[in-house]
Amino acid sequence: MSVPTTRAAVPVLAAEDLTVRFGRRTALANVTLSVPRGRVVSLIGPSGGGKTTLLRAFNRMNELVPGVATTGTVRFDGVDLHGDEVDPVEVRRRIGMVFQQATLFPRSIFENVAFGPRASGYTGDLQELAEELLAAVGLWSEVAEDLDRPAMQLSAGQQQRLCIARTLALRPEVLLLDEPTSALDPAATARIESLIHSLRQDYTIVLATHGRRQAARLSDLTAYLAGGELIEYGPTETLFTTPRDRRTESYLTGRIA
Amino acid sequence: MACGVAAAMVAAAFLTMAVVLVAKAWSAADLGFLFDPSSRVADRAGIGPALAGTLWLAALTVAFAFPVGVGTAVYLEEYLPPGGVAVVVSGAVANLAGVPSVVYGVAGLALFVRGMGMGPTLLAGGCTLAALALPTVIVTSRAAIRAVPRGLREAAYSLGATRWQVVRGQVLPAAAPGIVTGSCAAFIRTVGEAAPLLVLGAVSVMTFAPRSPADPLTSLPTQVFAWSTRSQQDFAAVAAGAGVALLLVLLVMNLVARVVRRRLQGVSA
Repeated sequence: MSVPTTRAAVPVLAAEDLTVRFGRRTALANVTLSVPRGRVVSLIGPSGGGKTTLLRAFNRMNELVPGVATTGTVRFDGVDLHGDEVDPVEVRRRIGMVFQQATLFPRSIFENVAFGPRASGYTGDLQELAEELLAAVGLWSEVAEDLDRPAMQLSAGQQQRLCIARTLALRPEVLLLDEPTSALDPAATARIESLIHSLRQDYTIVLATHGRRQAARLSDLTAYLAGGELIEYGPTETLFTTPRDRRTESYLTGRIA
Repeated sequence: MACGVAAAMVAAAFLTMAVVLVAKAWSAADLGFLFDPSSRVADRAGIGPALAGTLWLAALTVAFAFPVGVGTAVYLEEYLPPGGVAVVVSGAVANLAGVPSVVYGVAGLALFVRGMGMGPTLLAGGCTLAALALPTVIVTSRAAIRAVPRGLREAAYSLGATRWQVVRGQVLPAAAPGIVTGSCAAFIRTVGEAAPLLVLGAVSVMTFAPRSPADPLTSLPTQVFAWSTRSQQDFAAVAAGAGVALLLVLLVMNLVARVVRRRLQGVSA
């Protein structure tokens, strides 16, 4: 095994010359980008620009879509994610994902949290785990009295926080958040943002977002993707104040939707 | 408005059928009719063996066709990659669903009664009816599985579930009400079939109620057919009585399906 100092130098996630096609449509073209450990990386850019596809390449979700073709390499801790001995199920247990729409299971709050740990053979106390995770996302005080309530009865913001808790239940190393606040009102958005802010202590986070200000508020690094290409990638502050590429500047100043 | 008229016509048609049947069956109606064996004399003819035969056939059909049908649907939807094989299998299943029931009888006669040496037994009948119901069970189950939102599957996969855990834990529970509704419609149609059982060699006069699948093949639909082809006027009432009994059996099957569906929905809601 590698020495800790060199391990820190290896990016947690790295896409190398990554191209993803769905049928004839190229969703991602020759993208090279690495995510340093312990940082928050934002992916910004217009809809259809490749943010979601890149995010889903990091935990091998793209391959669930029929007709997908991927070339290039994705590395997790230096290991090729598409290597022969890599099990996509194991990848998804270590790299958690939260979707744009809260996709809760039509079950109770407890069952939603318990699904992931059960699937991976968790042997501890699920009740305890649920309490800990619901507390971590600030939901415990709101739902503690009845964990057997149908999850669908929660508000949209609560549902999204439950989705995050459900993902944290796997004890992943990385969190992939796909526009987690785009369906939420400002108050619920603020809660999720402060949650992301507190999660950065323990997780490497990749956040696809529509909100330029959200990216500026939350992330250390920002990547601007458009038309499936990585236009610019760098420290958030630099990218927002002195973008090198005119296309990035146009997007940031609102001339491109 | 037009829909209201159409609905009224359907209701009227059903009521008319029920009234005609019951009126015809009235003279045959007594408790003995339900349990007595069939007879060459109309007065003494009962539907005991035929009723028992149909219950056996229903149980065998569901027991064979439901697991195989749902399993096939899951395999086709969740496991088999789209492409040549999937297209061929889907086409074959869709075509089988359109094959007339009497043809299933001919195939069942060759395969189960003679080929496998089952003889004209309830088991052979159950196998044939199961084969008849199978394509419809597969088609309706596939539709129910396909209707499960992709987001639900993706959420389960993203939580590190294996394919089977996704299917077992999320897809099947979400699809279950649709699977039960569709399959049950198929079973109800199938259990009311006379043609394939007549081809297999169903007996029309049976003096004892079947106690095992190895007993001779008898059923309500074939009994109705046998009695209705008799020249004696009295048998018309007996045939109508057996028809009413068959309707009641199917009605009960429908009710059971409703209860099961409601419970499944309660679980997943």
